[in-house]
Amino acid sequence: MNAWLTVWGLLPVLLIGAITTVQVTAGGFVVAVLIGLGCAIMQNFRSRLLRAVIAVYVDVFRAVPVLTQLFIIYFGLTEIGIRLDPVPSAIVGFGINGGAYLTEVFRAGIESVHQGQLEAAQMLGMTRLRAMRIIILPQAMRVVLPPLGNFAIGLLKDTALASAVAAPELMFRARNLVDRTFLSTQIYAVTAVIYLAMSLPLGHLTRRAEARVARGRR
Amino acid sequence: MSWAIFIASMPELLVAALGTLKMTALAFIFAAILGLLLAILRMSGGVAGRLAFTYIELVRGTPALTLLFLIYFGLVPLGIVLQAFPAAVVALGLNGAAYLAEVYRAGIQAVDAGQREAAQMIGLRRRQVMRHVILPQSLPAVLPPMGNYLVSLLKDTSIASLISAPELMLRSRDLAGTYYLPMEYYLLAGAMYLVMAWPMMQGVRKLERYFARGRLEGGRA
Repeated sequence: MNAWLTVWGLLPVLLIGAITTVQVTAGGFVVAVLIGLGCAIMQNFRSRLLRAVIAVYVDVFRAVPVLTQLFIIYFGLTEIGIRLDPVPSAIVGFGINGGAYLTEVFRAGIESVHQGQLEAAQMLGMTRLRAMRIIILPQAMRVVLPPLGNFAIGLLKDTALASAVAAPELMFRARNLVDRTFLSTQIYAVTAVIYLAMSLPLGHLTRRAEARVARGRR
Repeated sequence: MSWAIFIASMPELLVAALGTLKMTALAFIFAAILGLLLAILRMSGGVAGRLAFTYIELVRGTPALTLLFLIYFGLVPLGIVLQAFPAAVVALGLNGAAYLAEVYRAGIQAVDAGQREAAQMIGLRRRQVMRHVILPQSLPAVLPPMGNYLVSLLKDTSIASLISAPELMLRSRDLAGTYYLPMEYYLLAGAMYLVMAWPMMQGVRKLERYFARGRLEGGRA
């Protein structure tokens, strides 16, 4: 029982870690969305080379563990003189890795919109990019939102891997506290609960957003 | 960078890659069986169903790494000491079971209710209905996501290196540290994961196309 009291006292440290977890998640999410959206739009361009490069990027980054990618960015790049701090390298790593997934998600979303929408928009004199932005993408959200929400939840949990490159997020704080107090059962259990407290509301939010978008269809 | 070092460390890395494959296979079998049990329990309702639901939600909301540390380090004060490799198999299996349970459930629910009713009408027992009628028909909805799970499991085994279980990522970290060639060794590890995951990804794609075709033909008939 004493052990749980000790962990209660250590809770603020874990919660500070949870804030960093949220920051890494948010940063990685934004980078991944920008890359995914950019690549999905560029896949519609005529350049065959560009399309091939994107296809290789998508396949390679989905076939390699994100932990390996984090190590390449954090440890590997120092060898060629690029030294990133833990948190930025985690954001870059999760962003590039997630971008490969989201490219597929956005591509499926764009393809789900009827071809006639683009043609009609072009008939009205819109450029492809403008039509994409105000006609296609809003309609694609219906298909994109559910996997995007799942990606966010997956990303939140994956950020625990950033502890391996010493980013001071929740899992890293937990590991440090365990090293100091040896209360591994209690601290990792509390850590799991804190992750749950973040991922369950995020899942709820996703489902509500999905319901809202689905309602708009009728 | 020197090629001689790489060639010399190749046998070591290949053995480690075998460890990765072994861990993937064992955790997959574990997750596939436990996941099916969870799915059936969850759909059976009652207290067991609620327990299964809670398990699935709890595990799906927690990082696999936290579960891994809870099992490898967290059980020690309770007197349960697992070695790194079995701990990783158990943690990845428990984690995957929650995910696969949802896959099975979606697949089973995708089978038309009339199939179950018809099977019951001709006198099959509950278990026979599940085994001979429902499960075979749920395969088109179950196999592709199961394949995707296998690919992500292969990659997720890399986290076992953080508890020093003998697999590819751990060996790469050792070698990267020994020769101070992180870039080279992590790229090499990435390439080896790619070589293992690529055929699986192609297989999943084929599976998806195969079942998509079956659906279309079924619709036309």
